[in-house]
Amino acid sequence: MVFRKYPGDLLLLGLLLLPVIVVAPGIPWTEQGWLYSLAELAGVFALSAFLLAGMLSARVPGTDPWFGGLVRVWVVHRWLGVSAFMLVMVHVLLLALAMLPVSLGASVTTLFPPLSHWQVWAGWAAFVAMLIFIAPTLGFFGTLHYQNWKRLHLLSAPALVLALVHTLMLSTTVWVWWLLSVLALAAIAWRKLLSPRLARKLYLVEGIDRLARGVVELRLRPKGKGIRWQAGQFVYLTPMDASLAAGYREEHPYTIASGSGDDELRIGIKAVGDATQALMDINPGAEVRVEGPYGIFFEETGGKQAAPVGPEPQRKQLWLAGGIGITPFVSGARDRMENRDRQRPAASLFYLANRPERAYYLDELARIAEACEGFDVHTHYMNEHGVITRDYLAGHCPDYAEREIYMCGPPGMISHLQTLLRHEGVPAHRIHTEAFDFL
Amino acid sequence: MTSNRIAYTSLVAFVSVVLTLVVVNLVQGSPDTSSASAGGSASDEAVYRLDQVAEHNHAGSCWKVIDGVVYDLTEYLPNHPTEEEVFTRWCGKEATLAWLDKGNGRPHSPRAAARLENYRIGVIEGGSPAPAPAVSAVPSPKPVTGDDNQGRMILGLAPGNYLDGTYRGNFIDRGQNQVGLQFRLEAGRIKGMSYRQLFYRDQDYLKLDDTADLYPVLRQYQQLAERLEGEPVEAIFRLYQAENVVDDIDGYSGATLRGAKVISAFRDGLNRGVYSW
Repeated sequence: MVFRKYPGDLLLLGLLLLPVIVVAPGIPWTEQGWLYSLAELAGVFALSAFLLAGMLSARVPGTDPWFGGLVRVWVVHRWLGVSAFMLVMVHVLLLALAMLPVSLGASVTTLFPPLSHWQVWAGWAAFVAMLIFIAPTLGFFGTLHYQNWKRLHLLSAPALVLALVHTLMLSTTVWVWWLLSVLALAAIAWRKLLSPRLARKLYLVEGIDRLARGVVELRLRPKGKGIRWQAGQFVYLTPMDASLAAGYREEHPYTIASGSGDDELRIGIKAVGDATQALMDINPGAEVRVEGPYGIFFEETGGKQAAPVGPEPQRKQLWLAGGIGITPFVSGARDRMENRDRQRPAASLFYLANRPERAYYLDELARIAEACEGFDVHTHYMNEHGVITRDYLAGHCPDYAEREIYMCGPPGMISHLQTLLRHEGVPAHRIHTEAFDFL
Repeated sequence: MTSNRIAYTSLVAFVSVVLTLVVVNLVQGSPDTSSASAGGSASDEAVYRLDQVAEHNHAGSCWKVIDGVVYDLTEYLPNHPTEEEVFTRWCGKEATLAWLDKGNGRPHSPRAAARLENYRIGVIEGGSPAPAPAVSAVPSPKPVTGDDNQGRMILGLAPGNYLDGTYRGNFIDRGQNQVGLQFRLEAGRIKGMSYRQLFYRDQDYLKLDDTADLYPVLRQYQQLAERLEGEPVEAIFRLYQAENVVDDIDGYSGATLRGAKVISAFRDGLNRGVYSW
């Protein structure tokens, strides 16, 4: 993850440090107690990180650009969660270590006191709950089905409450914890209870275009007021059609394929699991709910630069798409087509597919390239050319390393291209990727 | 993902360390716990474990274990004559050694011991008095505690049980009532001891002005009384070495303070029985 100074980063850093700043002066730093104090400090950081991760799960549409887009929010959320998990273990071990000079028995009773010390056991319960919901995320015992994973992740709410009880009962400075936990629990409440009613807009499936085997494009029209989006953003879509084979009322993220001015919200979907497979057969007229938009793939959300250190607006662009990762670029191309009068930097799209039949949307992209000045499309077929090389890129786009680079596709493709481009001296801040795999 | 592997490795390491601690403690600690249950305290005093004491390891709440007894010394901290750190480094700890050796090879004074008793809040679980050699290193009488039977035995030889009430006693010598005192016993403890008479060689000490040469001696007698406040009856035996109980106000003290006279008057009071209820 590239660290850019998004305005939200400062807010996060402030909230993360607030408890430490408030609590630290009250922690004694004596010659023999410093290890114990360090243990307390680790606990303080763990809870701060945990609460912050909770806050970031709010996913309020329109707020994610402050933090560099929803994908980056999830990355930070995950990073905070893992940090909290590790810090809790550090907290426990340091407590044990701090008591060892007294005696081994004292050390063990500090960790496992009589049951009457329920505050300590609340801490253990929080840790166990955390372990249960974080284990599948970190792939400890294999991965879970997305929806099961999501349900299990709800254990974070009780874990948070238990961790809070543990801390409030043993801490002297409580207001700062109340403040952060109210924010975190409000975020979870918004996400799980309020947003399904308030933030999801009702849409009707107007048509389904079959692009290839296992790939469709849904054309959606809002019933009432729809959402407004920028090219390259994505939405969470919840099918409300009970006749679907799977995925009824389950929300999943999908990239928008239509340009920003389009009346229809178009979404390209590839069958990769039960829920997406079921969407292949959704009926016209079916209801879906759409929440969003999220993300800042082209970093022009809201018509202005989202980040102070965003892409250079004049620099030419290189688009690298693989498989269903073509959708944000379809959106970008359609956007250029619809707003041909708008000045934009030139863009070269490389469509990486296995073979020609899997290069869906290619005809339309080629048409747009013909009609639009400064936009061209190249294909690269894995079966024909093998893995893409710098020579292939240079052969079709000599100045590729000088460009602002956008890529979207499967993880293997992203890491291959990232290595290749970094090797060619492209700085990390000029490479923009859209995560394809959220866990 | 690398972070997954790091997290998983940390979890395994964490569980291993915690299990090791628990298992080693189980293996090592079993004889310990049996002796702890055998040596249970007979009194109804609060019993603490070392880990409970260890939580009070800072100036804000400072407990120490000395000779098997737990003291909450938080309020005494500002009065301790050394730098604070010298005192606080033992907070939350077994501090008997620091008690027996102030850092100059000398133990704390019996006067300090008397003060210490005021901060007593309980005993340590499975605690036994400090090992014999350490005790014999103390040259002066130990503070009389519930565990110390010497004083009780002596009193046990004396006639009578001492009921709660107000007592008056005198020490009369050479035809003069030299010490007259009054005290109350409440639940066997000395309360409100005061002097009704302090006479020596025609000098009425109770009427001394605070500028008088002998005034420090009066102060010392008053200190004796103050330091018996709330103590069990046997505490009067400390007065045989009265110089250890009072502050060394000036050079007179050794010459004229007579703890034995106070003991005599005190025991006279006890023998005469309750003066008023």
